[in-house]
Amino acid sequence: FLGAGGGNDIQWCFSQVKGAVDDDVAEADIISTVEFNHSGELLATGDKGGRVVIFQQEQENKTQSHSRGEYNVYSTFQSHEPEFDYLKSLEIEEKINKIRWLPQKNAAQFLLSTNDKTIKLWKISERDKRPEGYNLKEEDGRYRDPTTVTTLRVPVFRPMDLMVEASPRRIFANAHTYHINSISINSDYETYLSADDLRINLWHLEITDRSFNIVDIKPANMEELTEVITAAEFHPNSCSTFVYSSSKGTIRLCDMRASALCDRHSKLFEEPEDPSNRSFFSEIISSISDVKFSHSGRYMMTRDYLSVKIWDLNMENRPVETYQVHEYLRSKLCSLYENDCIFDKFECCWNGSDRQVEFLSLCTSDLSSIVMTGSYNNFFRMFDRNTKRDITLEASRENNKPRTVLKPRKVCASGKRKKDEISVDSLDFNKKILHTAWHPKENIIAVATTNNLYIFQDKMN
Amino acid sequence: MLGKGGKRKFDEHEDGLEGKVVSPTDGPSKVSYTLQRQTIFNISLMKLYNHRPLTEPSLQKTVLINNMLRRIQEELKQEGSLRPMFVAASQPADPLSDNFREAQPAFSHLASPPLLPTDFVSTMPLESCLTPASLLEDDTFCTSPAVQHDGPTKPPPPALQPVKDSFSSALDEIEELCPAPTSAEAVAAESAADDSKAQPIESNIHKPEGLPESRTAESKLMDPLPGNFEITASTGFLTDLTLDDILFADIDTSMYDFDPCTSATGAASKMAPVSADELLKTLAPYSSQPVTPNQPFKMDLTELDHIMEVLVGS
Repeated sequence: FLGAGGGNDIQWCFSQVKGAVDDDVAEADIISTVEFNHSGELLATGDKGGRVVIFQQEQENKTQSHSRGEYNVYSTFQSHEPEFDYLKSLEIEEKINKIRWLPQKNAAQFLLSTNDKTIKLWKISERDKRPEGYNLKEEDGRYRDPTTVTTLRVPVFRPMDLMVEASPRRIFANAHTYHINSISINSDYETYLSADDLRINLWHLEITDRSFNIVDIKPANMEELTEVITAAEFHPNSCSTFVYSSSKGTIRLCDMRASALCDRHSKLFEEPEDPSNRSFFSEIISSISDVKFSHSGRYMMTRDYLSVKIWDLNMENRPVETYQVHEYLRSKLCSLYENDCIFDKFECCWNGSDRQVEFLSLCTSDLSSIVMTGSYNNFFRMFDRNTKRDITLEASRENNKPRTVLKPRKVCASGKRKKDEISVDSLDFNKKILHTAWHPKENIIAVATTNNLYIFQDKMN
Repeated sequence: MLGKGGKRKFDEHEDGLEGKVVSPTDGPSKVSYTLQRQTIFNISLMKLYNHRPLTEPSLQKTVLINNMLRRIQEELKQEGSLRPMFVAASQPADPLSDNFREAQPAFSHLASPPLLPTDFVSTMPLESCLTPASLLEDDTFCTSPAVQHDGPTKPPPPALQPVKDSFSSALDEIEELCPAPTSAEAVAAESAADDSKAQPIESNIHKPEGLPESRTAESKLMDPLPGNFEITASTGFLTDLTLDDILFADIDTSMYDFDPCTSATGAASKMAPVSADELLKTLAPYSSQPVTPNQPFKMDLTELDHIMEVLVGS
């Protein structure tokens, strides 16, 4: 794994942790999604209780040049409420499945948040001034007796304590029979897609009463259903291209220009199964839990249960790179099936875009390309695509002082356990890191444990 | 599902079932492979059974578990087809659905489950303590008379007569392959010889202590699960998820009702009416002949008729 030193190797330090300290986790506090906005100034989290919490980075303190600004709570609001489907006699969870930021167009910020059934566009705006000096109203709002008014004045804006308001501007409902797993904003910034288990719909951000169905894999006879959609994303540059992944480990790239209903893919990405690794659980562990395009759009990354794969969009028959996240779990699949951990949906992310330039460049050695994903025992993993080195780190309140470099962790798969190594059997499978995010420009990462949000940054010299 | 064929020590503990899949064609390793498969099948069923969500269960999870069950069933079907096939009963599903209706009245509003007779009968040789009623039904509808000379054996349909030899040899095969056979196979093997061997049946039941689950799984496999499973798969995805519970609760109960393997006495007692009935049938064609040989049986006729009616639910 990554050793110390090396010019380009990042040394990660603990920066902050948000959330309750006690071990007793309230269900509503379970973090279900984490997302930086396009500038990295804002960091949003969604939880199982339907709330969105947005953190804002402090402006860099010029005197404290050795650390970047801290993230503090900027806004908290209840995005979704639990609902009841009377037809099916089932609850609709308010858990926030995904948050996606819109690029900033004016002073306000906009984000899409979704639960299983409904997507909402939220406007987050600041109010730091308020008009004062009304003629007919007192400052507290009471009306003045007009007979007491002797002079007229023009109300002026005066500063007030910053107030951040979140208001739902659009509600996109009733378009999904099945559970929404992904939303993705198109590069045209006018449309976005939402994907559930069997269908993908295309929306216009301004129009809430209709959406276009662009993918439908529901079979005529539900008994024949053997595959579901697990994730979908628009291409970062091509506004007619998107991909969706399936529970059978395939990724389909579709072009909306080809036909209205993109049931026929333009490309099908699938790696043939390795016969030596075949088991009862081959299909389940091949199910893709996340798909993310690289910033350039030339590659895409997929996460399945045990690995991260990098695909070149020009090559469909196999990934160009495969990274093993926790291969030591391969011999535990039966237990993990029994306790349902095998169905955990890990996400993955690329490092920030400013550091990746994948078009033809002479200076490729300076360009870092790192991917990150979570694992169990509050471990998370990073793979450096250039150096081919990887590192395992732990998100934990213990031994985490600011600006102390995180110690790499190692899991001992079998045999003698070395000092500081952790054996597979002592891993805590309840402590899983499913959601991670990388600041778009800096080496700052947000890592969500069950109910805590950790922020790490690289050591600035 | 052929793995590399690496041999592993059989380990009753869960973790012993981990690791690479053993090739099912390996001799002694076949046991652990079969055991692993049974365990996974069991676990999969439990997951679909026991889910009582307030919210809709994850479709992805349901689909993956269903695929797992289907794959295992396919495997069993193929393995079953290596054994002598029973001729598909002409009346596929109704008798069994009748049985199910008895067990669970709530089931009756569903269409008769599309039980695949080939699925069912092809797996029969592996487990002889099946729902005896179903066997009776097969006998009822099989027209060709056949003389069964092996007395207290479970009665294969008369149409099986031509392949009977290969059937018993198949049973021997099973015995060979599985040194620690499930009680089902033990019953099949044992009963081929003598019905009075309730003793060995009992001992086989108690011997592999860690295996009751697998035996239940085995009998679950033998039940007309394929058909019901098809229904369940669809209703699992339909909006009315409560059907799921009814169906699976259905299977559960019926298994305990009809599974003689779970109790030694059950095994013995269930075998009795079967054998008597089987005698009845073999002698039926001869009813037109001189009555004298059948005299001793006439008195039991109505009694057996009654029993049959109850079992069939007609």
